[in-house]
Amino acid sequence: MATDKSSRFDNVDWEAVTADSGRALSTNLLGTLLCVVPLIALLVYDFVALGQYEDTFAFVGIGYDVTQLDWLFALSLILFVFYALLPLYQNPRITRYYWREFKRNRPAVVSLAFLTFVFVVGLLGPIFISQPEIDLVTQYQPPIGMSVQNTYPVQCLGEVTSGASGQLCHGSLAHPLGTDSRGRDILVMLIYGMQVTVKIAFITSLIVITIGTAVGTVAAYSGGMIDEVLMRYVDVQQSFPTFIAYLLILYAYGGGLFLFIVLFGTFAWEGTARYVRSNALTKSEDEFMKSAELTGASTYHIITRHLIPNTASSIITILTLLVPGFILAEAQLAFLGLGDPTAPSWGQLLSTGRDALPYAPWITLMPGFLIFLTILAFNFLGDAVLDALNPEAQAESE
Amino acid sequence: MGLEWYIARRVAWAFVVTFIIISVTWGLLAASPNPQVSNAVRSAAMNGDDPAEAREIQKKRLGLDEPLTKRYVDYMVSVYTLNWGWSQTRSQPVTEAVMNGLYYTVQYSIPWTILVILISPLIGIYSAANQYSWKDHAATGFAFFGYAIPNFFFGIILLLIFGLQLGWIPITYNTDVGVFSLANARQLAIPIFVLVTGSIGGTMRVARNESAEFINADFVKTALAKGVSPFRIYARHIMRPTMVPLSTTVVGQLLALFTGASLLVEVVFSIPGLGRLLFRSILAQDTSIVLGTSLFFVFIATIGNLIQDLVYTVLDPRISFSDR
Repeated sequence: MATDKSSRFDNVDWEAVTADSGRALSTNLLGTLLCVVPLIALLVYDFVALGQYEDTFAFVGIGYDVTQLDWLFALSLILFVFYALLPLYQNPRITRYYWREFKRNRPAVVSLAFLTFVFVVGLLGPIFISQPEIDLVTQYQPPIGMSVQNTYPVQCLGEVTSGASGQLCHGSLAHPLGTDSRGRDILVMLIYGMQVTVKIAFITSLIVITIGTAVGTVAAYSGGMIDEVLMRYVDVQQSFPTFIAYLLILYAYGGGLFLFIVLFGTFAWEGTARYVRSNALTKSEDEFMKSAELTGASTYHIITRHLIPNTASSIITILTLLVPGFILAEAQLAFLGLGDPTAPSWGQLLSTGRDALPYAPWITLMPGFLIFLTILAFNFLGDAVLDALNPEAQAESE
Repeated sequence: MGLEWYIARRVAWAFVVTFIIISVTWGLLAASPNPQVSNAVRSAAMNGDDPAEAREIQKKRLGLDEPLTKRYVDYMVSVYTLNWGWSQTRSQPVTEAVMNGLYYTVQYSIPWTILVILISPLIGIYSAANQYSWKDHAATGFAFFGYAIPNFFFGIILLLIFGLQLGWIPITYNTDVGVFSLANARQLAIPIFVLVTGSIGGTMRVARNESAEFINADFVKTALAKGVSPFRIYARHIMRPTMVPLSTTVVGQLLALFTGASLLVEVVFSIPGLGRLLFRSILAQDTSIVLGTSLFFVFIATIGNLIQDLVYTVLDPRISFSDR
C-alpha cells in the first residue's frame, strides 16, 4: 500500500478477490450448506425411517418429536446466522458505522435489547424449563405484590391476611407472576409464548423475503408479459383483506400453528416484491450497476451482489412493520378461540384469562402487555433501522 | 386521455379484482370438505343409517352433485345478482342478515371514520409545527401507544375499568335503544375511542412527517414574507399538499382495521354487527353466512382501494394522467 494510514482505507486483498471470482463457495454458502445438509438428512430420516408418532431424537435418547414448524424454524435460524449475523462480523467497519448511527436513537437501543431478550429466552427457555404443569390446587395464585380474595385459589401458597372484604391471598415466590385458572405458572407460559413469537417472526420473515425478492427480481428482469402478470397478481393479493382470508381458510380447512404461520408469510410478501421490483428498475440505471454489467458480471451475480444488498435496508423496514402484524393476528385468532389450542402462545394465555378478568386480571394483563411491548419495540426498531441504513431518507425527513 | 379515462380504467380493474377474488374464494370452499355434509354423515352413522347414502342425499340437497363448471357459473351469477342464499342457523336470507349486521356496524364506523379524518391531520400538523418539543414527543408517544396496543386488549382493559370498576358504561350492548339516543352514545363511546386510537397512530405519523417537509418549503417562506397569518399558512399552504399522501394512508389504515380489529372489538363489546356475525357463523359452521359476510368485507376492501387510488389522483393536480 502506498499510504501509511492504512486504517483509513480498506485493504484490498487482491489474491482473495481473484480467488473469489471463480466458482469457489463463499464462507456463508459453505456454512449454510454444512448446516442444511444434515438438517435435510434428519428430515428424510424422520419421514422415511420413523413412524408418525416416534420421537425424532430417540436414537440419542431425547424424547422430543420435531414438528413441521421446527424444521422451518431451524432453516430460518441457519439462514439468519449465515446471511445476517455473519456478514456483520465479516464487515466490521460498516457494522461499526451502523452501530454508531443506531446508537443515537435511545428508544431503539432499548427495543433491540428487549427483542434480543425475547429471542434468547424464547429460544433457550423451553429447553431448560419444563412445561407448565396443570395443578388445580394452585389455581389463581396472584403475582408478587398483588392479592386476591382467598375464595378463588383452592390453596394459597403465599401469605394470607384478613382485609375489609374477607381473607386476602398474597403472591408468593413460588409463582412470581401468578398462575392461571388451571394452576399453570404464568412466567413459564410467557417464556413458552416467547418461543411461539420468535417462530412466527423468523419463519414469516423467511417466507416474505424469499418470495418477495424472487417475484420482485423476476418481474424486473424479465419485463413484458411476465412482469405485468406478476404485478397484477400482487394487486389482487393486496386488495384481499388478509384477516378475512385467514378466517376463510381456517373455516374451510381448520389448521394449527404451522398453517397460520405459513399463511401469514404467503399472504404478506407483496410490499417486498413491489419494492424490490421498483428498486431493481431504478438501480439498473445507476453507474455501479452499469459498470458491473460492463465488466461482464452475470445477471445472477448482479442480483445477489448488488441489487439485494441495496434493497436490504428497506426489506428490514418492511419486516419491522409486518412481523408485529403477524404477532397481533395470531393473538387475535387465539382470542377468538380459532387459534391452535396446542400452541402455548401469548394470545392463548390472554384468551384463557378472559372469564376470570374481574378477580384475576393478571392472567390477561401479563401476556397483553408483553404483546404491546413487543409491537412497540418493533416500531421503534423500524424507525431507527430506517434512519441508520438509509442516511438519505433521514436527510429528507429533517 | 385524461382523468375520465384513468377513472374508467381503474373502476374496470376493480371489477376484475373482485371477480378474481370471488372465484378464488369459491375455489377454496369447493375444494374443502363441506361441514353440512360431514355433519349429515356423522349423524347418519350414529343413528345406524348408511353414511354413504346420507352423503349422497345431503350433497343432492345442497346441489353439490352437479358438475364443477355449472356450480361455478351458478355461484358467480348469484353473487352478482345479490342472491346470497339462505342461512340455516338464522332462518333468514343471507342478505338480510348482512344488512342487519351492517346496521350496527355503521353506527360506530361512521363516527370513527369522521373522528380519524378530523383528528389525525390536526395532531400531525400540530406535532410538526412544534417539532422536537415536548408536545411533539407527547403526540408521538400517544401515536405509538395507540398503534402498538392490540385493540381488543385495550378494549378489554377499558371495559374492565369503566364498565366493571366504575360502572360508567354498560357491559353488554343494548340493541333496544335508539340510534341517536344518549344511551347509544354511551355504549358506543369506548369502542369508538379504542378504534380511533388504533387508527390515529399510523396516520398521525404520516401527517407529521409529510407536513414537516413543507414547513421550510419555499412557498411557505414566500407566504410568510407576504405577511400571511400563521393559521392560514398551516390551514391552506401546508394542509393541502399534506392531504395527498395522507388521504391514502387514512383509507388504508381504516380499511385494515375495518376488516380486522373491528371484528374483535365487536366481539369484545358484544355489538351484533358484521364482524360478530362472521365470527358466530364460523363457530356455527353456517357456510352461506360465512361466505356472505366475507364477500361483503371483500367488496368494502375493493371499493376502499378504488377510493384510495382515485382520491390520490383527484386531490393532486400535479399528477399527469397521460402516462398512467
